[in-house]
Amino acid sequence: MIRVLIGVLWLCLQAGTAAAQQTTYTPYYSADTTQAYQLAVAHRTAIQAHLGAAKTGNSEYREHYKRIVRETSSEVYNAIRHSALLDAELNAMVQRVFRQIQQANPQVASARLVLTRNPQANAYAVGNGTVILNVGLLPGLENESQLAFVLCHELAHIQCRHMETSIQERLTTLHSREMRRQVRRIIQAEYNINSRMKDLVMGLSLDGSYHQRRHERQADSLGYVLLKRTTYEAPQAYRALELLDHIDEPVVKEPLELGRYFSCAEFPKTFEAAPARPQSIFTVKTPEKTVLQTTDTLKSHPDCAKRMRYLRELTAGQIAEGTQPVTPEFARLRSISRLEVVQSWFDTDCYDHALFDALQQLRSDPQNAYLRSMVLLSLYELQHYQLDHRFTEVVSNMSEHNPANFNQLLTVLYGLRTTEYKQLSACFAQLAPAPADDEFTLAARYAAAMLAADQPQATALRQQYQARFRAGRFTTLLFPAPAATGRKTR
Amino acid sequence: MFQLKRTLLTAVLTFSLAAAASAQTQTLDGVKSMPRSGISPIYSGNEVKGYILYARADKADRKNDNYHLDFFDQDLNKVSNITIQKPSGRYTLLQNSFNGTAFGLYFCNFKEGTLEIETYDTSLKKLGTKVIEDLSKGDKMMINQMVRSDGNTENTMGGLTLTPIADKGFVRNSYDGLMKGYALQMYDNNLNPKWRLTSDPKSKYYESFVIREVTDKYLVGTVLRRDGLMSKKFNSYMVAIDVNTGKKVMEAPVETSKTEQLSLSSFSFDVEKREFVAVGEYYKLDDKPFVNKSQGLYIKRFTEAGKLLGAKPYSWQKEVKAALPAEAKASMEDGFVNFTHSIVKGADGTMYIVAEQYKVVADGLGIAALALGGKASPTNGQIGNMLIFVLNPDYSLSTVKFYAKDRSKAMLPPGVGMMGAGLIGQVIKSQGDFDYQFLQRNSSNSLFNVVYINYDKEKGEATKKIVGNIAFGANGQFTLDKIDGTSTATNSFVYPAKPGYVMMVDYLKKQNQLGMKLVKLNI
Repeated sequence: MIRVLIGVLWLCLQAGTAAAQQTTYTPYYSADTTQAYQLAVAHRTAIQAHLGAAKTGNSEYREHYKRIVRETSSEVYNAIRHSALLDAELNAMVQRVFRQIQQANPQVASARLVLTRNPQANAYAVGNGTVILNVGLLPGLENESQLAFVLCHELAHIQCRHMETSIQERLTTLHSREMRRQVRRIIQAEYNINSRMKDLVMGLSLDGSYHQRRHERQADSLGYVLLKRTTYEAPQAYRALELLDHIDEPVVKEPLELGRYFSCAEFPKTFEAAPARPQSIFTVKTPEKTVLQTTDTLKSHPDCAKRMRYLRELTAGQIAEGTQPVTPEFARLRSISRLEVVQSWFDTDCYDHALFDALQQLRSDPQNAYLRSMVLLSLYELQHYQLDHRFTEVVSNMSEHNPANFNQLLTVLYGLRTTEYKQLSACFAQLAPAPADDEFTLAARYAAAMLAADQPQATALRQQYQARFRAGRFTTLLFPAPAATGRKTR
Repeated sequence: MFQLKRTLLTAVLTFSLAAAASAQTQTLDGVKSMPRSGISPIYSGNEVKGYILYARADKADRKNDNYHLDFFDQDLNKVSNITIQKPSGRYTLLQNSFNGTAFGLYFCNFKEGTLEIETYDTSLKKLGTKVIEDLSKGDKMMINQMVRSDGNTENTMGGLTLTPIADKGFVRNSYDGLMKGYALQMYDNNLNPKWRLTSDPKSKYYESFVIREVTDKYLVGTVLRRDGLMSKKFNSYMVAIDVNTGKKVMEAPVETSKTEQLSLSSFSFDVEKREFVAVGEYYKLDDKPFVNKSQGLYIKRFTEAGKLLGAKPYSWQKEVKAALPAEAKASMEDGFVNFTHSIVKGADGTMYIVAEQYKVVADGLGIAALALGGKASPTNGQIGNMLIFVLNPDYSLSTVKFYAKDRSKAMLPPGVGMMGAGLIGQVIKSQGDFDYQFLQRNSSNSLFNVVYINYDKEKGEATKKIVGNIAFGANGQFTLDKIDGTSTATNSFVYPAKPGYVMMVDYLKKQNQLGMKLVKLNI
C-alpha cells in the first residue's frame, strides 16, 4: 500500500515537473560553448573533406573552387559555432523527426541536422550532409509531417548532389572559353562596360536560377517520395508549401495594443495618433520586367503556388489543404520556438523585431515573464542606441513590404524621445508585476531601473545579477568591460 | 565607416537578416572619389525629401562618358537611377531643385562652355531640356568658384541658381557681363520660357540679385548695388517680384540713416501679417557695410506697398550684450565679432538669428615666414562660439543663447587680415571655414535645427570631431545634441536630412566605399 502511495506521489511529482516545464521554457543559452565549437569544427571539416579540391579546370577554376569551399565551410562553421540551438527540448524534438526520416530511408546518404537560432524561416543543405534548420521556420508549421517534408526536401538536395552540381555548372560557365571571350570583348570595346557587364551577369544569374529551380523541383519530388516512406502524413507536404507561401506574415495581423501596454495615468500617451509616415515625393513605378525577368524567374525557388501545383499533380490530388489541427506537442514546439525567435532577434541587435514579436505573443500569453522581460530589455537597448545616435542601425525602415502592425510599431519608435522610455517602462511595469526571479527578470529589472535613472537600484540589481549569474547571457551586453568591447560603460 | 559594430554572432546572422532589418543606411562599393557635391539633398519646401548621388561611370563612346544619377528617398531607399551620356569628364551637376511636381537639374558642360537644365517629373520621366549658351564672364567666374569650392560655400553674392517655384516651374538667376547686372528667367516645368526680368542695362551701377524666398505670390530677394566690380561699398535694396508675371511689385532701398549705414542679410515676406521684413546689420556712418565691423542688428518692416512700418536696432554693446550670458560676454570682450549665418521665423512669429563668432589673430609662424620672404599670412582667422538671438513676435529681443565650442583656425590668404571685419567674415565663409554647416526646418516652421561641426582643423578630420545640433522651435526649448562624428574615413560629410535627423557620410578611399547613414537626433 505504501509502495502504491509512493508510486502515486512520484507520478504526481513527475506530472508537476512536466507541467512546470510546460510553462517555464526560456531560450537556450550555455556559457560553455565547447559543444557548439566542436560541432562547428566537425561540420567544417566534413564539408572541406567532402568538397575537396577541384579535379578539373584551369588554375583560375581551381582557385575559385577553393574559395567557394572555404567560404561555404566558414559560413556553416559560423552558423553553428555562434547560433547552434543545442537545448534539450526543441533540438531533441526536431532531431527525433530527422532520425525517423533517416530510419525510414536508409538508402539516403548520411546527414546531420543542426538547429540554429536564426529567426528567418529557412532551411538549407550542404553537400556533405549538413542540414541547417532555422528555428524561425518552426512557428509557421502545424505538425511534424510538415516539418518532416521540409527536412526530406533538404535531404533530397543532398541525395541528388545539387550543391556539387551547381558549383560545377557555375564554375564551368564562368571559366569557359566562351565566357572569357565575352568578357574580353566587353573590355576591349572600351565603351559602356558597366551596362554590358550587367547584361552578362544578368544572363548568368538567370541561367543559374533556372538550374536552381530545376533542382528545387527535383527536391520537392524526391522529398515527397522520402516522406511517403515514413510514418508521417504525405499529404501534409502540400500544406507545408501552402504555409511557406505566407510564412513571413505576422501571427496576429491586428494593430498592436500599444496603448494598453505603454500608456497609463502618469503617461497618457496616445499611440494611435502617431503621425503618418511622410509620403515620398517620387512616383517611380517598379520598372517593367521582361518575360525572362518576372519576379518568379529571378528567385532561386519557384513561387510556392507553382510548387503546389506540381505537388498536386505528383500526389494525384492526395493533399491536405487549409488549417490543420495542431497536437499539444507540436503546439509546445511552436510556442517555444517563438520564444527562441524573440531571443534571436534580440541577440542580433534587431530590437524592433524582438519588441514586436514579444508584444505579439504577450497578447495570448500576457503573464509570460520571459516576454515581459524582453519588452523591457528591448526598450532599454533601443534607448541606448538612440542616445548613442545609432538608432537607425537597429531599427528597420518603414516599408510597404512590412506587415502593417510592424510599421505601426516603427512609427512609434521613430517618434520616441529618449526621455519617454522611462515612462513607457513605468507604464508597462504597472500592467502586471513580474513575479519570476530568473535571469531574464533580473536583467529586465536592471534595465527598468536604468531607464528610470534609479542608479542605486540599478547598482544593487547589477550586483545581484553578477553574483547569481557570473557568466550570464546578459553580462557582456549589460555590463561590458569598456576596454574589451569598445562599448560605453552604462 | 558606419559599419555596424556587432558581435560575431550578429555578423553571422546579419547576413541573412539584412533584408528583414533594413536600417536607414546605404553602403555603396566601387566609389573612386567622393567630393561633397557628389551628394545633393532634394528639398520640397523646407524639408529634405531625398538625395541625388551624381557620379561619372564608364565611357559611353569616344567623346562621352556615362553619368549616373541615383535617386534616394528621405529614408535612403534607392528609388531609381538615370544614366546620361555627356562629354567625357567635363560635365558637372551644379544644383538640383524640386518644385513639388518636377525636378530641375542644373548642369555645367565644361567642354561646350554651356549650362544645361533638364527637368523630370516625379516618376523621373524627362520633361524638358534647355541648353544655355553664350555664358557671361560673370557666369563663368561663378561656375569656377562653385566647382572649386565643391559646394562648401554659400552663394552670398547672388548669381547662378535655379530656384523652384511651387508647381509652376523654375527661375534661373544669372549674371550679365562681368557681374555688371543680373537676369532672372522663369521657365515652366517643360522649360518653356515664361517671363524674364533683367537689371537696367543703362544703369551705371553693378547689380546682383540674391533670391531669398518664394512665397505664394512673390519671389522675394535683395539687390546689391555698387559703383564698380571692385567697389567695397554696397547699397542694399529689397525687391519683390510677382511670380506669375515677373513684374517688380516692390523695390526699396534699405535707407541709410544719418548716424549709420545698413546692410541687408535677410528679406522675407510674412504671409500672415502680409508685411515684408528686412533684417541686417548696421555700421558706423564712415564704415562700409559687409566690410567693416558691424555695430549691431536691425529689423525693418514694410507694407506690401513698400511703406515703412517700423525699425528696431539691437546694438551689440547695449541691447545684445545685456542679454548675453556671462561666458558670451567674455568672448565678446576677447575681440570676437559675429557672423550671421541664417535668419528664420517660426510659425508663432518668433525670429531666430543664428550667428557664429570669429576674430583675426596674429600668427607667429606666418609672421616669421613673411619676414623670411614667404607668402604666408601674418594673420589668421579664429572661429569661436555659436549664438542664437531670439526675437519675440513684436521684435523685442527675448534672449541670446550661447553655445561654447572649441576654437578652430581659419587660414586667411595674405593681405586679408588688413581688411575690415565684415569682409574677413565673408572670406571665412567663402572658404567654408566656419563650423556652422546648415540650418534645417520642418514644413510647418515649428522646429529648427542648426548643425555645426567642431574639430581641430589644423590636425585634420581624423581627430575628435563633434557634430553639434542646436534644436529650437515652437515648444520654446533649446536642446543641444552632440554626435561623436570621429571617424577614420578619408572624408566625412554631414548633410541635411528629414526633420529630426542628419545624414552622415563617410568615404573610405582605400576600400572605394561610401557609407551613408541617417542619424536620429535627440532633440
